[in-house]
Parts: sequence; structure tokens; C-alpha cells
Amino acid sequence: MEEKNLNNKISRRSFLTYVIVSLGGLMGAILTGLGCGYFLSPIWRKKEDSWIDLGLVKDFIEGEPIKIDFTVRKRDAWSTIESKSSAWIITANQKDFIAFDPKCTHLGCPYRWSVEKRQFLCPCHTATFSVDGKVVSGPPPRALDRYPTKVVGGHLLILPQVVGKGKEV
Amino acid sequence: MNWHQDYIERYKKLKEQGKSFFPYAVLKDTIMAFFILGLLCWFAYHFGAALEDPADPTDSNYNPRPEWYFLFLFQALKLFPGNLESVAAVLLPGLGVTFLFLLPFLDRGPERHFLKRPFFTLLGVGTLAGIGYLTYQGTVSPLTNPIVEKDPLVFAGQRLYVSLNCSYCHKIGGKGGTVGPELDKVASGETEDWLEKHFREPQSVSPGSAMPKLNLLDDEIKVLVAFIKSLGGGEGFTEEAPKVFAENCAMCHKIGKEGAEVGPDLSLIGTARDKNYIRKYIEDPSKLNPTSNMPGYKGQLTDVQIEDLARYLSAQKGN
Amino acid sequence: MNLIWEWMKSRLALQEIWNALFSRHVPEAEGWAGWLYTLGSASLFVFFIQVITGSLLAMNYVPSPDHAYDSIRFINEQVIFGKWIRALHHWGATFMVVLVSLHMLRVYFMGSYKYPREATWIVGVILFLLVMGFSFTGYLLPWDQKSYWATMVGANIASQTPIIGSYVAKILKGGDEMGAVTLTRFYAIHTLVLPGLILVAILIHLFLVVWHGISEPPQKNKGSDKKEGA
Repeated sequence: MEEKNLNNKISRRSFLTYVIVSLGGLMGAILTGLGCGYFLSPIWRKKEDSWIDLGLVKDFIEGEPIKIDFTVRKRDAWSTIESKSSAWIITANQKDFIAFDPKCTHLGCPYRWSVEKRQFLCPCHTATFSVDGKVVSGPPPRALDRYPTKVVGGHLLILPQVVGKGKEV
Repeated sequence: MNWHQDYIERYKKLKEQGKSFFPYAVLKDTIMAFFILGLLCWFAYHFGAALEDPADPTDSNYNPRPEWYFLFLFQALKLFPGNLESVAAVLLPGLGVTFLFLLPFLDRGPERHFLKRPFFTLLGVGTLAGIGYLTYQGTVSPLTNPIVEKDPLVFAGQRLYVSLNCSYCHKIGGKGGTVGPELDKVASGETEDWLEKHFREPQSVSPGSAMPKLNLLDDEIKVLVAFIKSLGGGEGFTEEAPKVFAENCAMCHKIGKEGAEVGPDLSLIGTARDKNYIRKYIEDPSKLNPTSNMPGYKGQLTDVQIEDLARYLSAQKGN
Repeated sequence: MNLIWEWMKSRLALQEIWNALFSRHVPEAEGWAGWLYTLGSASLFVFFIQVITGSLLAMNYVPSPDHAYDSIRFINEQVIFGKWIRALHHWGATFMVVLVSLHMLRVYFMGSYKYPREATWIVGVILFLLVMGFSFTGYLLPWDQKSYWATMVGANIASQTPIIGSYVAKILKGGDEMGAVTLTRFYAIHTLVLPGLILVAILIHLFLVVWHGISEPPQKNKGSDKKEGA
């Protein structure tokens, strides 16, 4: 009789423990789920592509690289920021365009186009790049970085973000 | 005190007779927590967290109102006019807090049941009733200023207009620079399509324009177009409208220097409201602002008169 | 696995802590009265929710008049569950005030603040004031019309204090006008000062509750010890 009482008591105790643990676990799961979704939301946030219009394609001279300055206006979370930026644009036929990031791939110095040598010259460590961006001499680890380009309705658009370091895009 | 020792001994006995904190009390705590979390989620889902318009220190039409649990204090201020206000504002809450701190030293007998402590029980119940009454009074007291709902797009456009410093070149309501056209007179008449193209590439629709290309984002263009379009309104009203206003409205409302101040001053109503809203408001204010004291005029005035009046009022932009 | 558990148990005194906190006996509170004893732990639970949601909100909030409102919009519109987390924090604040008040009323009407638990009550009153402080400072942070004007009213009420009123208002606002300094002040108080204080106060409060034992529900005929046992 007494033993049965004791057994009852133990099973009641473990039942209550079970209830507490499951309710507690459920509450923990709800809060953790919400918290993790919030904390990890950068993973799922879509990157907004902002293509920049650089003007009519027919205004670009074939075979002659030209540096274009432009203003990028974009959302940075809750603020809208404007930044000045530039790109080197090269076209052979006014249909296919290459846009180079204007920073040397060695240490990020701004390079320039030399008309006489027909090469890009970096002032920092005298590196040189050919017209298609390949390293000709000097320390840079890879060819010039490129921006994606596209032509829409006779306008050249670029996306000023480096994709695939040094690779063609 | 002699009862202290007795209490400790009696409590010791009660404790021994009692149950273990885990799992018996913890079970109740957990169920309660679960209930609270459920209720909290329901509130969060059902009501969300409101976000009103951004703070505007220059807005004189806002009804400041504290969170409901401070409402009794807010309401109490109305009972103490003038110099006595500091009594309600500081002295009473100060006394209340002091009382709470001193409570264990004021009520120090062995009795704990509320029926055996009639003074403190009555004091507690009385205070609760007072707070409850004041809170009720606070919730039912009418808001003096009408609740102004703004079109969120228009409002966002207006903020952008300010942050982009458009008024450096443009005038709205007679305020701003003279380089560009007066937007409320000229631009609001253009189509949305024209405005959008203009924001993207000003020269594409108005060659030779001095307006700079602003590289605006798509949604920024959208809200600016909405804002510019909202500046229109003021479709022509007849000469009757001011007379209708003088006969039916001026005993409560003011436009410019004419009229009384029982209701809100309407001199600038056209900057906050469009014609359709004003017409609906004149027809039946309670639909748009439940706390308004204004009577509805549907049936009192003809539909044509109301329309005319709405056009007249939506043109009131202070110029 | 078992070895690690045993090591932790011995070095962290887990068994002793468990015995002191959870295996302690508490006087029986029968029926509905038992549920009144859960108000304190419910307040603690909501406090945890506020800590979690508050920390998350702080990750995307800027205490500056230029950006505060837009950062809240960002939370509402761009962050996954952002709306939920903000709504939970918003209503959690209300629940906190309600639960703490109800807990206080329970203690008041049951006379639980009496010997030997006077200090527990005093720390409790401090906790109540801290919660009110949280609520007042947190209200301003969204920097919308409601928060701006409610804080304005609050600061004006504080300025009614005889003699030192204008100074109190200035300290509160961080200057003569409400603005950027007010917001950073309230933010720092809301997220650094008050959490530190309330954590210490909660620990003292809980320690005292365990130390003196939970008060028993009063019985009408057992208040004075004279008739006890009869």
C-alpha cells in the first residue's frame, strides 16, 4: 500500500517534470526561432542591384579607354547614401563593353591610361596592364577587376560591384 | 518584538509541511509563463507596435498623450490648476513612492490578512479606485486637435523634398527659391508619367532645364511624384463657397482672420487634406474622427454645396 | 560525457545550488491563491523576453534624430521577424508594468512585506521604479510624434518640481531643448544604466526571496500567534 503511494508520487513527479520541460522547451523554441530569424536575416536579405546609366553607346570611341565618373545613390539599410565613383570603359565595336574597377589590383592605387604606351600605368609600384586588363609587368596578383555591363536601349549600363576578381564577366 | 520569534518558528513548521519548490511551484510558474507568452504573442500579432509619423517639433496639431499607465497622472494634472499643478505633478507621486518605501515600517503588527488590517486595505482599495477613475476619465476625455491622417506616400515625399533641399530652387506655398518653377502652381498639373521621366532625366522632357539629374531610387521617385501631385487640388469653387462657409462654419472655424476658434483653424487645411477627405468630413465627421464634436452636414447642405465647400477648403493653403 | 557532467556537478556545486533553489520546501498555497504566487516569476520571464528582444532591436537601431525613425522603419519592413520582435518588446513593456503592479498588489494585500521580509519589499519598490524608468526612456526611442510629445510632457512635468524643477528638466533633456542629446541620453539609460541596475536589484530580490522563504498565504485566524495550535 505504502509502496504504491510512493510509486504514484514518483510517477506524478516525473509527469510534472515532463510537462515543465516540454512547455519550457516550446517557449524556448518560439523565442529562439524568432530571435534567430531576426539575427540571421542578413543571410536572406536580397542585394539590390543598382545599374548605373553611363550614357549612349555611340558616344564611346572604339578602342580608346575612357574614365567615366558617376554618382551612385543607394540604400544602406536605413540611410540613403551617395558616393562618387568611376570606371574605365573600353569598347571595340560599341556593342561589347568592358568596365574596369578603377583601382589597381595590387594595393588599390588609381591607375591611368597612357596614350603613348597604350597601357594602364599604376603610379604606386609602376605596374602596367594591357588594354584588356592583363598584367604586363609589376607586382599585381591578377588582372584588373571588372564590373558587369549591359546595353539597354542604346544606353550603356554598369553595375559598379566587383564580381569574380580579375575574371571576365 | 515578541511575535517575530513565534513567526519564524511557525513559518519553519509551515515550510516543512509544504511541498518541494520543484516541480510543484515551478509547474505553476511554467504554465503561467506559457500563458503570458501566448497572450503577449496575441497582442503582438493583433495590435503590432504602432509607429506614427516622425517627430515634428513644429507640429502644433498633435495631441500628446502618455502611455495608458501614466494616464492617471496626466489626468490628475487637470484637477490641479495653475500654481497647484506641481502638487499633482511631483508632490503626490513623490509621497506615493515614499509611502511605498516606508510601508513595512508603518504597518508592523503581526496581522497579515487584509480583513485584519482595515486601514491599509481601505487605503489600497481607495488608491486603486482613484487611479482607475482617473485612467477612465483620461481615456474618455476628447482629443482637442483632430487626428490628422496623412497619405504615407505623400508624407514620405514631403520628407524627401525637405532632405533633398528642393526648396533651394523651388517654391511651394510661396516659400522657397526662385530658380525653378513654383511647384504647386506648375508641376502638380503634369501627368505622373511626365513627372517620373522628369525626375529620372530632367532634360528628356524639358530640354534646357537647369534641374540636375538626382540619380533617385525608384521608390524615391514614386513618393516624390505622389507628393507633387498632392499639391494640386483647389479645383475651382464658386463665389457661393465663402458665403456657405460664413453662414455654416464660421461660428466654429476660422479662415484667415474671419471666424471663431471653437474648432480648429482651417486656414491651412488644404496643405494637410485633399478635397475628397474634406467632403467626407463635412458629410459625417464621426466616420473619420470619432472624437469630433462637429455635426454632420449631409442633408443640411446640398451635395453641390458640400462639394463646393470642399473645393474651397482644399484651396486654403495659406496663400 | 558522464565524466564531464560529474566534473561540472562537483566543481560548479550544481547539486547544492539545485537543492538550495529548487528542492527547498515552500509553504502550501492552495487553490487560486497559488496562482497569485506566480506573478513574480512571470515578471522575471517577461524581463528575459525584454532582454532578448531589446538586444536584437539594438542591433538595427540608431539613437539619432536623423536616423532613429528610419531605422525603426527598417526593422519593421526589412528585417525578418523585425515587426514581431518590435511588437513583442512594445507589448512586453506593457505586460511588465501590469505584472509588476499585480505582483506588488498581491504582496500589499497579503501583508507579505512584514517581518522578516521588509528588505525584500524595499528592493521590490526599487524594481518597480526601475521598470517605470525603462518604460519612460524606451518610449522616446522610436522618435515618432507620440514618443516625442509624450516625453515633452514628461519633461515638463518634471520641471514642475519646486525650486530644482528647471534643473531636473535640463538634466533629463540634456539641454534646454529636446533633441539629439536627449535621444542618446535616453538610449544610454535605457540600454546600459537601467539594465545594470535592474540586474543587481533582481539578484538581491531573488536572493532575499529564497533566503527568507516565500511568505505563506495569510489566514484570517492565524495572524496573531496567540490562538495558534488551538
